[in-house]
Amino acid sequence: MSVEGRKRPFFTAEQVSWILVAPLLIILLFFLFLPMLTLIQVSFWDYNEWTFFPAFIFDNYVYIFTSNVTFATYWKTIQLTLWTWFFCTVIGFTVAYFLAFHVRSLTWQIALFLLCTIPFWTSNIIRMISWIPFLGRNGIANSALLEVGLIDAPLEWLLFSDFAVVLAFVHLFTLFMVVPVFNTMMRIDKSLIEAARDAGASGFRILIEVILPLAKPGIMIGSIFVVTLVMGDFITVRFMSGGQSTSVGRVISNEIALLQYPAAAANAVVLLATVTLIIAVMVRYVDIRKEL
Amino acid sequence: MERRVPSFYLLGAFFALFILFLYGPTLTIGILSFQGPNGGLTFPMNGASVHWFANLFEQQAVGDFWGAFSRSLILGLMVMVSTVSLSVMAGLAFRERFRGANILFYLTISSLIIPSILVSLGVGLIFNILDWEVQWYSSGFGAQLTWTLPFGLLIMFAVFNRFDKSYEEAARDLGASWWQTIRFVVLPMIAPMLIGVALFGFTLSYDEFARTLLTAGSKNTLPLEIFGMTTNVTTPVLYALGTMTTAFSLGIIMVFLVFAYWMRARSRRLGNDAGKGMV
Amino acid sequence: MKKIPLKAALSRRSVLKGAAAVTGAAIGSGAITGFPTIWAQNIKNVTLRQFGTGVSNLNEFAAKVSEDLGFTLEMTALDSDSVTQRAATQPKSFDIADIEYWICKKVWGAGNLQAMDTSKIKNYDKIVGIFKSGKLTPESVIAQGTAPHSVGFVDGPNGKSFASSETGWMTLIPTIYNADTLGIRPDLIGRPISTWAELLNPEFKGKASILDISSIGIMDAAMVCESMGEVTYGDKGNMTKEEIDKTMAIFTDAKKAGQFRAFWKSFDESVNLMASGEVVIQSMWSPAITAVRSKGIPCVYQPLKEGYRSWGGGLGLSANLSGLELEAAYEYINWYLDGWVGGFLMRQGYYSAVPSTSKNYMSEDEWGFWFEGKPAQGDIKNPFGKVMEKAGTIRDGGSFYDRMGAVACWNAVMDENKYMVRKWNEFIAA
Repeated sequence: MSVEGRKRPFFTAEQVSWILVAPLLIILLFFLFLPMLTLIQVSFWDYNEWTFFPAFIFDNYVYIFTSNVTFATYWKTIQLTLWTWFFCTVIGFTVAYFLAFHVRSLTWQIALFLLCTIPFWTSNIIRMISWIPFLGRNGIANSALLEVGLIDAPLEWLLFSDFAVVLAFVHLFTLFMVVPVFNTMMRIDKSLIEAARDAGASGFRILIEVILPLAKPGIMIGSIFVVTLVMGDFITVRFMSGGQSTSVGRVISNEIALLQYPAAAANAVVLLATVTLIIAVMVRYVDIRKEL
Repeated sequence: MERRVPSFYLLGAFFALFILFLYGPTLTIGILSFQGPNGGLTFPMNGASVHWFANLFEQQAVGDFWGAFSRSLILGLMVMVSTVSLSVMAGLAFRERFRGANILFYLTISSLIIPSILVSLGVGLIFNILDWEVQWYSSGFGAQLTWTLPFGLLIMFAVFNRFDKSYEEAARDLGASWWQTIRFVVLPMIAPMLIGVALFGFTLSYDEFARTLLTAGSKNTLPLEIFGMTTNVTTPVLYALGTMTTAFSLGIIMVFLVFAYWMRARSRRLGNDAGKGMV
Repeated sequence: MKKIPLKAALSRRSVLKGAAAVTGAAIGSGAITGFPTIWAQNIKNVTLRQFGTGVSNLNEFAAKVSEDLGFTLEMTALDSDSVTQRAATQPKSFDIADIEYWICKKVWGAGNLQAMDTSKIKNYDKIVGIFKSGKLTPESVIAQGTAPHSVGFVDGPNGKSFASSETGWMTLIPTIYNADTLGIRPDLIGRPISTWAELLNPEFKGKASILDISSIGIMDAAMVCESMGEVTYGDKGNMTKEEIDKTMAIFTDAKKAGQFRAFWKSFDESVNLMASGEVVIQSMWSPAITAVRSKGIPCVYQPLKEGYRSWGGGLGLSANLSGLELEAAYEYINWYLDGWVGGFLMRQGYYSAVPSTSKNYMSEDEWGFWFEGKPAQGDIKNPFGKVMEKAGTIRDGGSFYDRMGAVACWNAVMDENKYMVRKWNEFIAA
């Protein structure tokens, strides 16, 4: 490294920052911001069997807000979201708690944590369809239960049901809860827990009164992920419900498939507004940048 | 060492069940991919063979998943390289205050919370309106970056939050230019963490489905091909493909882990503790 | 893909134009020798990109094309919805569209396809009547719905509206079609099934399925409602809003009562539903039945007293095709109708648009079994060499004339299509 005299920089620090973020900004503007504006614009357009064209009509929205299916679909989507969120949170928190406070060596913590994350790196679709031979009428689960004698007839609701959908969601998305919760838990100062223990608190009270409040931001971040992923899903619902349940995402993907882009765009705008509203409420409780 | 409390065993059992839950279905199709030549997609097994793996290497009745696989591989590498370089650049920038930083931050975060299908639809619409052809390497690439870049940037935040600035100041005091400081001090220190960003970038792209769905154009990427196969294939070759891609993903992770371990060992040898305390 | 410069291609085209009809025949039969060398080499540089549903976009065809014709055919297999989407919105992504007639009706107006000159089609005269006059035999009654002949012709090369009779300009060259009915698992049902109404019989609660492709599903639904006597249709292929409402109401009630186990979108899903025993009665396509049976599971393509719901598909040319590539496309279509593909498709249980040429590529036993409805003399194998049917079996529904002669309706796109699609989506969402 050559030692030169400190030169007056060519750019100011702020200009350097701008140059550095420019590629990120350009990509997000073109592939995120502009597409969202386009969605809003196209949602007012008209369409026929094979194409869509500029217009300024409210029909697409009128249909959404007058169809009784819309309400049913949103209600179904929210139910699925809540169930998935509930199970992801309970399971995610428990797993993270075990890893952070009951596994003592750092090496083991990392090893077990990686064990949890590995499936996350493999194909979602493959992981989802893996459930089908497991849950089917003649699948492993039913055969095993019949064998043991717990049931006399195969359980129909194991596959192609809301149960199956939530199960697949939990399977796919729990990791999104485990990771941030584990991250915040690892940052909790262990001396706080020692102090609480010295003050005579039981393990359970420490969990409820010390760890839970401190892990809340992690839970929030995980929840944001889970909620977004479930609300926007269209493929898990189709596969696991055998095409019988409909979420908002599926309505949109159906409309896309039928070339009704403006209708899909209108639905997309409504979904976007709903998700943004939910997330906006959630982020009030957490400062993401501080929590990393 | 304190005595293990009973809750440890309870939670340990819970954890074991969770792992079983995570891996169980994958194992199911792992087993089913060894179906005999006349076997179907469900149990019972109809003999055992590697027929379906061999079948993977033969011409399929429909589709072309080796083509899809190579496209996914190339796209994954493109996304990986862009994600690493752009997030490092943005990460460096965000260490300083600059006008517009907050807006850009929220724009980035919103990219994570906007459902993928909407991004896919929006990008597809833009290309449609502009009368450009959607291609996996243009529109598909861009749409995937809106997913990997926020992750990359968040990891960079985590990295720089734990970064000891005194090394950098020392370099500056010794007269190093801005670029020299970055090149010879900052980058080597954060290098092990970049492995994580690279791994994220590659695998998120390699497995991405929804954002690619309407932006890949006439040639399928692997997840799209797999999706197509779920509707076009009635034989366990689908499971063989699943088992193979899972094995491939695992292989990639292993390569990254070994590489990260090596980088860390190397930086430790060189007396650098930048990676400490990061998982 | 290597594109021939347009100008060069055009000038070459004027030379070739006259010779095309003659040379086409020669190329079609695989005899490339004797051609002006310049073309024989150039055509090797042509790549045609075809897309369509999995039923007829088999890689086997592409291999045979490069063997027989010397140029490259790239195939992409998609589901029905994606096929429609691509035909309508991505004209640059294909040269040849392998689509169904109802899709043609939907997307023709987009102007992405060009009409074909039937005088360049060598076997045009041998194409079955269904695709020309709409009649299988002179006595036949034309079935309801979007019958292929009704959207098969336009007035001229740039025609936008469909013509009512043969004009010499075809929208799609017909390639494949079949008569569909309900598939059942006789071993799990254990009694004869003879009417479409059985699909909603509460006896099969939780074990029935219907396909979730609106233009096809609505016709199955109409066959069921009509046979139950619940709805009387003026024309099933062109329902009124009230008829659509009534039909969907009956199906929505059934869905809410748990009649359906699942809905399927591609024929392979139906195979898996049936083979795994999740479903015992459902709307199904012929090769799906054979696929289930080839796993050793009993499955019957049940002929029903109300008749069949039929569909047909064909090849359309992209409007962007011109010059050498257009000539190559005509060669390809002539080759398609020449019999090898037809035989291949027939041995999977579909029908070829030119049965007489296909016969040359099938054994007598195969022809007897698949086309004439005779008992199989020996084992019937599919084109991939797998045994489909044992000696002695007779095809469900019998001969070509028995099956195609009993078609009650075709897959349809109606005047009220937008309304129907909405109602269908509401049914799926209910």
